[in-house]
Amino acid sequence: MLEVRNLVAGYGKVKVLHALSLHVPKGQLVTLIGSNGAGKSTTLRAVSGMIRPDSGEIMLGGRNIAGMASHDITRLGMAHSPEGRRVFPTLSVSDNVLLGAFPRLTGARSKGDVKADFDRLIDLFPKLKDRKDQLAGTLSGGEQQMLAMARALMLNPEVLLLDEPSMGLAPKLVEEVFATISRLKAAKVTMLLVEQFAAAALDVADFGYVLENGRISSSGPAESLKNDPAVRAAYLGAAH
Amino acid sequence: MQNFMQILVSGISVGMIYGVIAFGYQLTFATSKTLNFGQGEALTLGALVGFSTVTFLIALGLPPLAAYILALPIVLAFGLLQGAVVERFGVRQAIKTKSEAGWIMATIALGIIFKNMAENVWGKDPLKFPSPLSEAPLTIGGVNLRPMEIAIVLGALAMMLAVEAFNRRSIYGKAVVATSNDRDAAGLMGINTPLVITFSYALSSLSAALAGVLIAPITLTGANMGAALGLKAFAVAIIGGLSSGLGVVVGGLILGITESLTGFYFDTGYKDVPGLLLLLLVLSFKPAGLFGKSAIKKV
Ligand SMILES: Nc1ncnc2c1ncn2[C@@H]1O[C@H](COP(=O)(O)OP(=O)(O)O)[C@@H](O)[C@H]1O
Ligand SMILES: [Mg+2]
Repeated sequence: MLEVRNLVAGYGKVKVLHALSLHVPKGQLVTLIGSNGAGKSTTLRAVSGMIRPDSGEIMLGGRNIAGMASHDITRLGMAHSPEGRRVFPTLSVSDNVLLGAFPRLTGARSKGDVKADFDRLIDLFPKLKDRKDQLAGTLSGGEQQMLAMARALMLNPEVLLLDEPSMGLAPKLVEEVFATISRLKAAKVTMLLVEQFAAAALDVADFGYVLENGRISSSGPAESLKNDPAVRAAYLGAAH
Repeated sequence: MQNFMQILVSGISVGMIYGVIAFGYQLTFATSKTLNFGQGEALTLGALVGFSTVTFLIALGLPPLAAYILALPIVLAFGLLQGAVVERFGVRQAIKTKSEAGWIMATIALGIIFKNMAENVWGKDPLKFPSPLSEAPLTIGGVNLRPMEIAIVLGALAMMLAVEAFNRRSIYGKAVVATSNDRDAAGLMGINTPLVITFSYALSSLSAALAGVLIAPITLTGANMGAALGLKAFAVAIIGGLSSGLGVVVGGLILGITESLTGFYFDTGYKDVPGLLLLLLVLSFKPAGLFGKSAIKKV
């Protein structure tokens, strides 16, 4: 579904990613783990068009989207819930969720039943239901994370990119976020998950990549990565 | 007392004009953190395009009011187009390269070009805009009110409320608000944010063009009519806050009334002084505006 080949990207002259390749098959949950500053967010930003890749190919459903504007990439079905949530603070919770369906509401993507999806998602995140008319800026961090995920799902995405959905949340909320991700996985949503909680991410994922200084240092089925001594020492050690 | 009421009332209509132009400054600032310093010239062009259209329609035999009403959509469409041109050719590249001086110089330069065009097409001498409404004042409670002054207030409010309703109700309006909140995140929603910025420039020039045709019948119309108005409305946008809708109306009214008081108690020759003094004061003491929360971008 999503195939990244030899991606080079960064900020201005500073290159962060050095010929990175990864593959997210349809219906699978792939996770990208790595320490702070390894280039995980940069990878997602390049894939969704928030930054322009310097070179490489990003194939979405057989089409090279590298270099396209982010709004065009979104219209092709790539949803990105970015680092730091980035909800629209002066808009209501409902309007934030609705804007996730912007391409569907404006004819850039097949419409389906926006209203039914809205109701289904708002039921998936009950905290949002109670705060539908509240401004998104007044939500707690956990609620904003739920909102960012609901908003991204409103696209009916072909692929969903999730950037550290657990960041800054209390342990109980982290559990809730991972429970939601499991549910999305069960519903066959294709996902690329970036996480700081490597152990939890490998627990839910089908496949994993480890990113080190802008390069993939190892990869494999999540189960085997979890048992890889090198990975255990570098990324899972602190958690156990 | 009646004198004072009279002065107050004549300050209100001009104040609303300042409010509309300042509202236009807010529109582009919200989406792109840039301003069109050619707003005054957009006003001039709006008034002059209105002048030619109205004169043409009257020559065809239409009564002035009908001619004015028919000319309005033409003026507004022209304003939209002119604003889009300013963004596309003057501002877009500067936004892309994040050049602060770029958009400032570009919008000033385009403003000068538009003013020269206006001088060449309409001449340097002021023109008399045919008034769509009776010029005889109505007397209400001893205060004289020109019908056009009432039309200015209503027209200005209608425009601002229409934009507000669009932003709140339509999905495209929400996309504009989202772009103002967080441009990158709006892009991730599939919103074409460069187009939103072009649109905000178009709407901003439309506001100025509307202000131009509204004020033209009660003032002299000509290539130079917009410059001082644009500058003073900039002061209003700063006191009113570049981010809050209500502030510019309050700021505009304060300035309009102060000016008419100055004109009455001192000398009409000093009429522009309070606005420009206000600009200097505000720039030195209150860069964030009295009513808004967001500051002018630190350069
Ligand atoms: N907006 C930016 N401008 C310049 N450099 C950045 C920017 N964002 C991240 N970087 C740099 O790119 C590198 C990778 O960052 P990032 O992709 O955010 O890492 P991660 O998400 O894995 O923690 C870091 O060295 C970081 O300092
Ligand atoms: Mg990151």
